[in-house]
Amino acid sequence: MKKVLIFSFQLATLIVIYQMGSLLVRFFHLQVPGNVIGILILLILLWTRVIKVEQIDLAATWLLKHLSFFFIPIAVGLMTLGPMFLNKGILILIVLIISAFIGLISAGKATQSIIMKKEKVKVNYHDHSV
Amino acid sequence: MITVYSIFLTITVYIFSRKFGQRYSSPLTSPVFLSTLIIIVLLVGSHISYHEYSPAKKFLTYLLGPATVALAVPIYKNRTLLAQYLAAACVGLLIGTITTILSALIIAKCFFFSKMLLLPLTIKSVTVPVATEVGKIIKGNVSLIAAFVIITGMIGAMFGPRLMNLFKIDHPFARGLSIGTIAHGIGTAEAIREGEIQGAVAGAAMGIAALLISFVIPYIIPILL
Repeated sequence: MKKVLIFSFQLATLIVIYQMGSLLVRFFHLQVPGNVIGILILLILLWTRVIKVEQIDLAATWLLKHLSFFFIPIAVGLMTLGPMFLNKGILILIVLIISAFIGLISAGKATQSIIMKKEKVKVNYHDHSV
Repeated sequence: MITVYSIFLTITVYIFSRKFGQRYSSPLTSPVFLSTLIIIVLLVGSHISYHEYSPAKKFLTYLLGPATVALAVPIYKNRTLLAQYLAAACVGLLIGTITTILSALIIAKCFFFSKMLLLPLTIKSVTVPVATEVGKIIKGNVSLIAAFVIITGMIGAMFGPRLMNLFKIDHPFARGLSIGTIAHGIGTAEAIREGEIQGAVAGAAMGIAALLISFVIPYIIPILL
């Protein structure tokens, strides 16, 4: 019972922060969505220790574990696009799949090779010092 | 009544897909893809239109905003790691974003796509709420943009981890960055299932990619198209 109360309070905190983000966006006419501002607000609150990680962890972990769920109702909207996809669907899919693959591989390879270089330099440095 | 049925249906199918995906791992059992497919089939089968499903969608996605905000927690927990690989992350993010947009536009131009289909390709890797906002600025078709973004996310979640295995991208930081940059929230959800580092990096990459693209794309569209 106590856990439910803690969970609800943490969830309410996240909702309030999200609403604050949306409000700021509307108030200052920012070209950035409210949820991105919400992430920044929570980061600042964690950084300045206004909120401690333990005070938000339970609800945050639960929401992130089920993050996929929230995309499903939006994805169901694809059912309205049947006619367009019958027309050009295969070509659209080819474009989306190939470009996603190219992006995934180049982003991953680039990041990994820079990390490896950095770690190699560290190792060499170690060798010299020994 | 239809709304209650839709809500119940969506939650049940999601729980089933999760269990099923844990037992039989395959691109086709990725939870967003499998659940969406089953729900569409069941809705069509019971003659419910998307319009009638919409109130349920509003109710069920209420927590998407707060869930996105929760991404700050893994980012904060892994802050030292993120700071350590900041240079690698920035380069990977830029290269991934540029290659995916350019390759999409080049192939699409070979297929003689109309401008209406080219526009959404420039923001297909941006998380849904950001993409629809940028879409209004660049005067794109919002439902088309949402479709391209969601399909891209599904492709990343379904094939991303296997593709990276194939190309020996095995560093958890690089894996998270890649999937978050290209497949935004849906990819991040998949990365969280893979590990905490992957999830945190993917969430951070998604946010940064969204910021970057939403600031830059409206200005370079005239050059690209």
